[in-house]
Amino acid sequence: MCFMMLCSINIFAQEIIVSGTVTDVDGMPIPTVNIIQKGTSNGVITDFDGNYEITVPANSTLTFSYIGYVSKDVEVNAQTTINVELTNDQGALDEVVVIGYGEARKKEVTSSISTVAGDDLEKITTGNAAEGLQGRASGVQVISQGGAPGAAPEILIRGITSFNNDKSPLIVVDGVMLPSGTNLNFLNPRDIKDFQILKDASAAAIYGSRASNGVILITTKRGKFGKAVFTLDVSSGVSNINKIDLADSQEYARVINERNINEGQEIKFTEEEISEFGEGTNWQDEVLSDFALVQNYNLGISGGGEDIKYLASVGYFEEQSHFEKGYRKKLTGRFNLDFQISDKIKLKQDISPRYERWEDTPNVFYNTLRIEPTTDVYIPIEERAGRNEFSIFDRSGIGVPNPVASVSRVFGGINYFGLFTNTQLNYTPFEWLDLQSQFGFNFDSSRRDDFNPEFFIHPNEQNLINNVFRRVNNNRDWVWNNTATYKNKFGEHDITFTAGLILDEQRFNYVSAYREDVPGQSEELRYIDAATGENMSVGGNESVRTMFSYLGRLMYNYKDKYFLTAAVRRDASSVFPEENKWGTFPSVSVGWSLADESFFDFDFINAFQIKAGYGQLGNQNINPASRFFGIGDSNYAFGGERVVTNTLNRFGNVDLKWETVEDINVGIEGTLFDNRLTFSIERYQRTSKDLLFQVEPPNYTGIPGTIAQNVGSMESKGWDLSVGFSDTKNKFTYSINTNISANESRLQEIAPGIEELFGQQRSDLGNRYLKISRPGEIAGLFYGYETSGLFQNQTEINSHSSENGALLQPNAVPGDLRFVDKNNDGALNDQDLTIIGNPFPDFTAGLNMDFSYGNWDLTMQWYGVFGNDIINYTNLFAYSAINEVNVRAGALDRVWRSDNPGADFPRLSSLDRNQNYQRPSDLLVEDGSFVRLKNLQLGYNIPLEGINKMRISLSAQNLFTITDYSGFDPEVSAGGDVINGYGVDYANYPLTRTFLVGLNFSL
Amino acid sequence: MKRIVLLIVLGVVLNGCTDDFLDQPLRGQQELDDFFASAEASERFVNGIYQKVNGEGWAQINFFRTINGMASDDQWSGNTEQPRADITGIAHFNVFPGSAYINSFWEHNYIGITRANLALDQISEVEMDEDHKARLLAETKFLRAWFYFELVKNYGGVPIVTTWDELFEPEVYEYTRNSVEEVYTQIEQDLNDAIAVLPLKSMYAQKDFGRATRGAAQSLLGKAYLYQEKWMEAEQMFENVIQSNEYQLEDNFADVWKPNHRYGVESIFEVGYINNEQFPNIGGVYSTTQGSRADLGWSWGTPTSNLENAFLSEGDSIRLRSTIIKHGEPVYGDPEVTEFDAAPARNKSGRINRKYYLPTADRPEPYQIGQHPLSHIHIRYADVLLMHAEAAYFNGNEQEAIESLEIVRDRVGLEINMSINGPALRDAIWKERRLELALELHRLYDLRRQKINGTPRISLIMGPNGSFVDYNLNENDDPFETTNMGEAMDKGILFDESIHMLWPIPPEEIQLSQGRIEQNPGY
Repeated sequence: MCFMMLCSINIFAQEIIVSGTVTDVDGMPIPTVNIIQKGTSNGVITDFDGNYEITVPANSTLTFSYIGYVSKDVEVNAQTTINVELTNDQGALDEVVVIGYGEARKKEVTSSISTVAGDDLEKITTGNAAEGLQGRASGVQVISQGGAPGAAPEILIRGITSFNNDKSPLIVVDGVMLPSGTNLNFLNPRDIKDFQILKDASAAAIYGSRASNGVILITTKRGKFGKAVFTLDVSSGVSNINKIDLADSQEYARVINERNINEGQEIKFTEEEISEFGEGTNWQDEVLSDFALVQNYNLGISGGGEDIKYLASVGYFEEQSHFEKGYRKKLTGRFNLDFQISDKIKLKQDISPRYERWEDTPNVFYNTLRIEPTTDVYIPIEERAGRNEFSIFDRSGIGVPNPVASVSRVFGGINYFGLFTNTQLNYTPFEWLDLQSQFGFNFDSSRRDDFNPEFFIHPNEQNLINNVFRRVNNNRDWVWNNTATYKNKFGEHDITFTAGLILDEQRFNYVSAYREDVPGQSEELRYIDAATGENMSVGGNESVRTMFSYLGRLMYNYKDKYFLTAAVRRDASSVFPEENKWGTFPSVSVGWSLADESFFDFDFINAFQIKAGYGQLGNQNINPASRFFGIGDSNYAFGGERVVTNTLNRFGNVDLKWETVEDINVGIEGTLFDNRLTFSIERYQRTSKDLLFQVEPPNYTGIPGTIAQNVGSMESKGWDLSVGFSDTKNKFTYSINTNISANESRLQEIAPGIEELFGQQRSDLGNRYLKISRPGEIAGLFYGYETSGLFQNQTEINSHSSENGALLQPNAVPGDLRFVDKNNDGALNDQDLTIIGNPFPDFTAGLNMDFSYGNWDLTMQWYGVFGNDIINYTNLFAYSAINEVNVRAGALDRVWRSDNPGADFPRLSSLDRNQNYQRPSDLLVEDGSFVRLKNLQLGYNIPLEGINKMRISLSAQNLFTITDYSGFDPEVSAGGDVINGYGVDYANYPLTRTFLVGLNFSL
Repeated sequence: MKRIVLLIVLGVVLNGCTDDFLDQPLRGQQELDDFFASAEASERFVNGIYQKVNGEGWAQINFFRTINGMASDDQWSGNTEQPRADITGIAHFNVFPGSAYINSFWEHNYIGITRANLALDQISEVEMDEDHKARLLAETKFLRAWFYFELVKNYGGVPIVTTWDELFEPEVYEYTRNSVEEVYTQIEQDLNDAIAVLPLKSMYAQKDFGRATRGAAQSLLGKAYLYQEKWMEAEQMFENVIQSNEYQLEDNFADVWKPNHRYGVESIFEVGYINNEQFPNIGGVYSTTQGSRADLGWSWGTPTSNLENAFLSEGDSIRLRSTIIKHGEPVYGDPEVTEFDAAPARNKSGRINRKYYLPTADRPEPYQIGQHPLSHIHIRYADVLLMHAEAAYFNGNEQEAIESLEIVRDRVGLEINMSINGPALRDAIWKERRLELALELHRLYDLRRQKINGTPRISLIMGPNGSFVDYNLNENDDPFETTNMGEAMDKGILFDESIHMLWPIPPEEIQLSQGRIEQNPGY
């Protein structure tokens, strides 16, 4: 077949035949590009391979144009070969964006939607597309959960307005809502065409009760009209882990000795012993290898004709952990088909299978920091007789579990199989009406296997009987969208109306089995069938949540200058009691394109728009069991026999209702200087009320666990700013995009009877809580004692007293912390607990730069977080030698001594009568600000005949981080829900520095 | 247009089905609404209240009792390998209020109370045999009284919750502490109600042994009176138990704590632990928590030489050998151990509690915590006889006191001077209590409540001038205690009567109640 079309041909003497190829910036050929001799009707279109041939006068000009690309004029000047590269028409407000149950021109969008192109993600090699979103869009905070294989970053859209642990936005893939809490691990980042991030309620309200954390609409790539295009992308490299400088044996022994001397006790190690120690065990080196492998392969083919378009892609991604155990391997496929059945009927059928294997990554960072270097990894060979491979480890003198032994016993892993199908039928009886029915089905099966071997290291570090465990989860969910869209134009009035009816069901199932005593514990016997022990258990259950919704949306514009969108969605959810099942979520937004007004006449302004929106959203992210009172069973013995007991194990709440978010958004956006500069500034305020939270009642109520309650309201305010500039000078093209997001979320009120919410209880700090949330304050602040330096001498201790001279800290000696009597009542007690830090940043920022010169290109992606605090929990022992655990290198210089009065950490002490390390205090709090070079990539295009693209690249991800934070990684500390966890670091797997080589090939 | 109509019709039809579609019940778990429908369910729910008498596992409730023992003159903290602020510190009256054990003891007694309140609320409505129902409700009241007594002994006045319904009132979050007197009033009322209904021990079938009996309720009420120094009521209540003829002493003292010897003639209220590999929390824990570190134990609460001396001074060898195992010596009643290893380098006193020791032949395989077939007897007849003696003494009935004392001494071959009287008699009763009930975790409570001229005995034993502190610092020549300095010799020196007559309220509770639950003085 040839699509080359020759129109009217005039034969003149000076006419020549010009031919060439039209490609996009990536070198991909573009079919059906219009090529017209300027000023005439003489024209052709390109074929499948982007090739064209046209006969024109030698001195004429050719115009190349194609929807979505910037048109280009080229003077022929008697050339016979003219290859043209068309660039995406990014500045144009005519770009079409997906808005949920429909699409709109960007100009029509009056709510807050950020778009991130899939191309932007391709420069980063990652198993989770969210990683590539970091710093790409304003108002979208991506919080890394560390460098462990498969650790999924958390996405926060415009701060936190819920107490719920699940702060992640709703993920919608090609129109299909996925269950809440779905992270992007399941997707192959290469399959993503773009993200539309619905940030404000006027955009997200169309998703009603699922949308309170924002919505991310993902569109996957589809086949385009044209000849088959084959692509191969490979990247492979190593990741390198950051370690903390810890004391060696000699230093450790000196610290313990000084600690004992301070208490008037005998030293533990003599100088002679110390000199014989050597360095001792470097536990970090023992458990962590410096480098781990990362690799990623993608193979794709796409194309299509008039009736059928297709895209098939297969991806393989693998990452290894830095421990001996732990990996993630992912194989994904995607088959997207488009059928044009008739003029009026279209069918889309997508199938995306996925298979993943995970081996558990040990998490022994905390113990690795604590175990003393004087312990050996293994016991001497002569003592190993009769011990199995898990029992040949030395025992820490102070009882910290041996991290190498812990790693050796990790035999857990998960196998996933997932299948996502998406069927969409469109019927367009008239030009103005589109009827659509879409059925998305998502099946997810995972099998978790665990084996805990039998071992003996010490009576307190042993497992006498091995056991095997298996759990199989089968989750399936489906969404059925039915929409009708009416679109028409009456003169200057442009109307689009959408109505819809949606059903949604999510079903979670599991069965599990556990049994003890696998004989000989060999690998092939680690299955339930082989276990022989009497002790066994089985489990199995199901939970279901369903939702039923209607929606309607009107989009109207007048003269393409004045815009209005109004929508409403009504949802009914099975998780709420009968009376509270239904929720209504309206929204309205307006826009005004000033640049189209005749009075607004500035040459350098290409587009300028102001917009404002209001909307309501809901949150139903609670355990479906929350409203029920549950009865559990257990055992007791009477008369020498076991009897079954029943107890109340779940205290329900029959008054549960929707959490709702109300949101106002205003903004301006525009493009200047021939579309070279784009900017957007938005201001928003979101108020959430009836917040759902697991409230812990006072223990005297005897209520087991917590109660789900609607406990109050929060307010979140912020700014989203983004500016981008791009230009081309000769062969040099560059673009610089930056965005800044600032957000502050305050708790407004808590339900009657509850004046404070506490979180992050620590038994080693007297069961006190590290976090507090009170009305009028930022939620989830750090809570503890304020300190004001160290006592330098007894006089200072004596003067730290009440009005009548009673010492506030009678047990203190010089070198101890001075705790502040915050309420000035002359006594130091828990009434003096106060705010000691804020885990939320003042702002976050991203800076993305792309440069290309000829065949060379360079990309830099920067990300920064500014002004947040972190509780570095490892500070509890970093310089304290508390319980004789190991300390940081240089500890003796950091702790107080009479000859080291300027130290920031208190004197070493074993009894700690002043409770320096038994109370939560600002000693644990550090500044968590950082700036990180997320990605640096240098690429070179090798121009080769007959090949669309051949690019090789070198990149470094997380090359360096500028921070004062002393823990492993300031970023990975931030997990957990706002009330309980957020901002407390217990030493987790840090993000790793990854070096990669890449190849992009296309034929 | 047809299709629009179709879609609308579809919508309407679907809407009709939404009620079913949206009605998703709780799966895989019984709901409270439907639960209390039968006698069986009611009984199983009451069974669940018993679980909180000792808690599930070692940590919820049992271990705090051990810490109590450690704070007395009978026991060291013991484990010198892992001294901990939240255990050892408390034993030495350097009290860490945030101790997880202080907290969980509070929490789990209250969970027991709420289970009881729910049972009282629901079971009264169940259609079932009225006698059975009455018994279940009476058992429940006994247990509720038990929990409040545990709380008041340790924390003083505590908030009183007596109904299920009040948990749904907003005011329940604003409760403050009730007075000690109010708590005791509640205890007395529940126990009186229970006594009126509960059957005698002999009226229960074998399969129900371990349930609350009238004798148990009377004994507990007597004890509650005794703690309030209501001597008259106490003596009367103990007399009721004695005159019921339901109980007698085991002939052989060693049989009281014999493994697999459940609900013996002397037992009045016990948690009848059994061994069952599949259900780990219906067996005992103390054999492990208090066992030797060289014998798969943790060595918490090991016996003091001071206690051993008390036996020796009385010439009480029968009870001594069944109370204390000493390092390097044979274990009485376990012929397989000729030289016991009490791991003195890791155990302050080189001694181990014999009462919770499982002889080799009685050990199930595997030998694990939570699976020891050794009952925990909370109230036994000897205890009742000695409480009777004490109450009688304070009522001036010295003859009755001597008679009860005589029965207890007689079993272990000790004579009694029948003409003993006055403070000497009182001291003899108290000393007998120490020897008879040693290491059974009553000692600290006794020392706090027993007074000489208004001064609690604990103030004479602990504190800078206490006799126990003085003994350890100046007289003690025990080869184990004086060589293992992993636990300080001055245990008890920090005792302060103005603080340590009660334990602190858990700080968590103060926080959760926004300070409405106030801390005890001094903490």
